[in-house]
Amino acid sequence: MNSSPEREVRSSPSVASEMGKMPVEPLLPIEKKLIGWSLGLGIVLLVVLVAVAKLVMRGS
Amino acid sequence: MNAGVNKGITEDWLSLWIGLLVFVLALGVLAGADILGWVVTTGMWTDVTKALGTGSKAFSGLGGIGALIATYIALLVVMSIGAAALRVDVKRFALGFTAVFWLSYICWIIGSWASFAANTPADMKKFGITWSLRLTSEGGFIVALLAGLFVGNFMPRFAEWMKEAVRPELYVKTAIVILGGFLGVTAAEKLSLATSVMFLGLAAIVCAYLIFWSVVYYVARVWFGFSREWAVPLASGISICGVSAAIATGAAIRARPMVAIMVSSLVVVFAVVELLFLPFLAETYLWHEPLVSGAWMGLSVKTDGAAVASGAITEALVLGKSAAEGVNYAKGWVLGTSATVKVFIDVFIGVWAFVLAYIWTRHIEAKGTDKAKASEIWERFPKFIIGYVITFAVIFALALGAAPATLGKVKAAMGEANAFRGIFFVLTFFTIGVMSNFRKLWEEGIGKLAAVYVVCLFGFIIWVGLLISFLFFGGVKPPLVTG
Repeated sequence: MNSSPEREVRSSPSVASEMGKMPVEPLLPIEKKLIGWSLGLGIVLLVVLVAVAKLVMRGS
Repeated sequence: MNAGVNKGITEDWLSLWIGLLVFVLALGVLAGADILGWVVTTGMWTDVTKALGTGSKAFSGLGGIGALIATYIALLVVMSIGAAALRVDVKRFALGFTAVFWLSYICWIIGSWASFAANTPADMKKFGITWSLRLTSEGGFIVALLAGLFVGNFMPRFAEWMKEAVRPELYVKTAIVILGGFLGVTAAEKLSLATSVMFLGLAAIVCAYLIFWSVVYYVARVWFGFSREWAVPLASGISICGVSAAIATGAAIRARPMVAIMVSSLVVVFAVVELLFLPFLAETYLWHEPLVSGAWMGLSVKTDGAAVASGAITEALVLGKSAAEGVNYAKGWVLGTSATVKVFIDVFIGVWAFVLAYIWTRHIEAKGTDKAKASEIWERFPKFIIGYVITFAVIFALALGAAPATLGKVKAAMGEANAFRGIFFVLTFFTIGVMSNFRKLWEEGIGKLAAVYVVCLFGFIIWVGLLISFLFFGGVKPPLVTG
């Protein structure tokens, strides 16, 4: 890729026509899993890492 | 895109090589060879003839204008060679770069006028003024951004003429490679704090990645009814790192390239909106928490250019306000925090693209032949980060425990390299402005895309990013300036 993606923006096709062609896709179980695991893991890690960070910072 | 027609190197690799070239030449100071001392520097002024100077006193005979011309010629040669390596039209690039360089630099000089830039009582007294816009010494960056926006939105023919040189990602990545060395000195002087900032930055982005992406993907899919092909680049563009992430994850799920490109057009516009107001919000409400401000910019402002640029503005504004209140924090830590967070975010783009490719090829569009490969992590890895790590590590090793005389030389070398970093920054600000086509917002059909962007960015990402920044960086302060 020689030109950055941003440089291609001006020549992009019509958004409206692409939006019109967009298919209706219900959320699949695997997507629900992806969202759930990602969010759950993110929140758990947030709690754990904040606790670790506070301990480390207190110790230093 | 012209993949397959032009086989030059990528901007990513080019930024690494240019950044390393500046870095290596700057290190000449350590061997007694002041190779880059002629680089132009810009200071606050009330008499414009005193606005410019040279990077080293040894070259003061050049004068400010001489240094500016020397810097322009040197950069024109190096960047034109780079343009040849990119396999773009070198003549058009050279002409475009000339316009970009001089317009950017004029903006920097204008922004450094004391009535725009001065922001401490000491500066006001020094320049004999009673009022100022208090834009700080980085005020020129804001002027460059506004000038770029004007050119991009009201002078489309001129913008088109110079477009070969309108490459904010190239300029900012080069600046980040150079920044690594500057931060290496800063980190070596405060090892414990630097280690903490790196750990906190890494921890913050792991959480932000997972939380941001899942929520934005859900909103795009369920609330706004976007298809998977649109929702993935949209979620990545809004939540992770703008254009790079939208392109990488879009490719990972085999979305059509134009989907990521359309998303990218919004990413750039909204990044500029963030760049124009978040640093001032940080100055007003977070000046007493400088590192929270820096992390917030890294987590909330999309695209490398706008994020690191907002870190630079935030550092100037927050440190200026702190100084006005009598607290003098050391420079480099706020910007360093923004850059650290952004670099970690970039590192994880490849990992996240691989995760999505794995899920899509195994579970969503499983065809048996098109499997995700671990090598994609390397393919998606932003190579300029290698340069950042090299410059950081080399300077860190040289400065850690060095004798005062050696440390002084290392600082002088990085001071000269840092002058180039400033120049690449101002080029970034100007070209981000030129690239930001606000008319896109009025394009038919863009409303739904913009709506999901506005809802997620201003209703969720910015505030959760602030919360995560507070949780990790709250109470962690940069060192105070001594002496």
